[in-house]
Amino acid sequence: MKIFALCACLLAIPLSLLAGPARQNLEPAGKASTRGTSTSQTDLGEKVFANNCSRCHAAPMSLSPRITGTVIMHMRTRARLSREDERVLLKFLVP
Amino acid sequence: MHTVALWILACARVFAQNPANTENGAGYVPIIAGGAGYIHNVTGGGPALQPQVDPVLLVPFGRRFLLESRTDFTGFFMRENFTSGPFKGRVFTDVEYAQLDWLADTHAIVVGGKYLLPFGLYNERLTPIWIRNLQDFPYTASIGTRTSGAGDGLMLRGVAAQTESMSVQYSAYFSAHCGINQLGSARTAGGDASVYFPRLRFEIGGSGQRFLEGHRINNGAAYISWQPLEGSMDVKGEYDYSFFGHGYWLEAAYKLDRASSHAALQKVQLVGRVEQVFPQHGGGNGLPHIENKRFDVGLNYYLKDNLRLVSSYGRNFSSAQNLNAWNAGITYRFTIPLWFGGTK
Repeated sequence: MKIFALCACLLAIPLSLLAGPARQNLEPAGKASTRGTSTSQTDLGEKVFANNCSRCHAAPMSLSPRITGTVIMHMRTRARLSREDERVLLKFLVP
Repeated sequence: MHTVALWILACARVFAQNPANTENGAGYVPIIAGGAGYIHNVTGGGPALQPQVDPVLLVPFGRRFLLESRTDFTGFFMRENFTSGPFKGRVFTDVEYAQLDWLADTHAIVVGGKYLLPFGLYNERLTPIWIRNLQDFPYTASIGTRTSGAGDGLMLRGVAAQTESMSVQYSAYFSAHCGINQLGSARTAGGDASVYFPRLRFEIGGSGQRFLEGHRINNGAAYISWQPLEGSMDVKGEYDYSFFGHGYWLEAAYKLDRASSHAALQKVQLVGRVEQVFPQHGGGNGLPHIENKRFDVGLNYYLKDNLRLVSSYGRNFSSAQNLNAWNAGITYRFTIPLWFGGTK
């Protein structure tokens, strides 16, 4: 029982870090290429990208435009994304 | 076999060249993606070497059809006398899924072929070696995935409803019994539904399944997934129920990229998980026969976003014996285009 109390404490450590100092977020794949052409569509695409990738895994830092369409088709099926999500993701990753 | 593969790639190439398929400059070339890794595991004092490669073939046909398949090559090598002697073992090959996706509509994606059973968080989402935070699966990951983790038949999935504040997603499937080598599946029917709140980065969902051959049973799961701090933190939990037993696991992972100013520390991820399983009716079918408790703590280090060192320690408690489980290794995610071009 003590072991599980210890584990509960260990799980609580990350929660306590919620109050820790915030630092800059990692820049997702398409961010750099969209600077200067910022639109609400791009912001939305960034949000969809960050939210949906991190539900299962770390977001990739780079994605070649050559394979972006194929990868997004795969992720639309796997992550059950809507067609609108697919459209804004493509706009964000390959503007 | 090679002719069929070349024909598929040639057809995909024709679609990839069509300018109508390359709006925004996004490329639709066939690719091989997936994960690879090597894990050195020591459980109860017995070392095991586990190299693994899981290539995923993705072949798009236009923007509506995608052929995808994942094959798992996992080696398992143990010492001849458990703790001494030479390592002996073999490489296991398994076609985990081979399916054709028709992205028909925002509300419906039709999947046919051999597909991963959408049950709980693990089978569809967390099994790849480069995704999971701890390399050992929870005990209850076997619930709802009999007999091979995959189904043969049809699945409908997609977004049932979506607003700015929430998204309701679903999967529904029917699988036939199949005994063909590498296409094995059981007769099952089931589904999964979840509600995702993007502003909170919180997801809650449930899965249900009716196993329709032999002893017909119901399986169920309820799960949560939460990623506060823009993805640096990941909290997941699941409760699973089956005729053969029930149990839960709760996992939290925190990547220090927001908590530390040191570049080296920002690549560190801390992981913890607790779980319990309570067998019923003798257990079995992937579940232990006696009650087990376990905790795991892990430390992962991201050399790059697709390359990481992983390590973990777990302690298992049961009335039979208590065991330590150590894991250390490396995981890698790769993406290789199979054709040049594909963009405007």
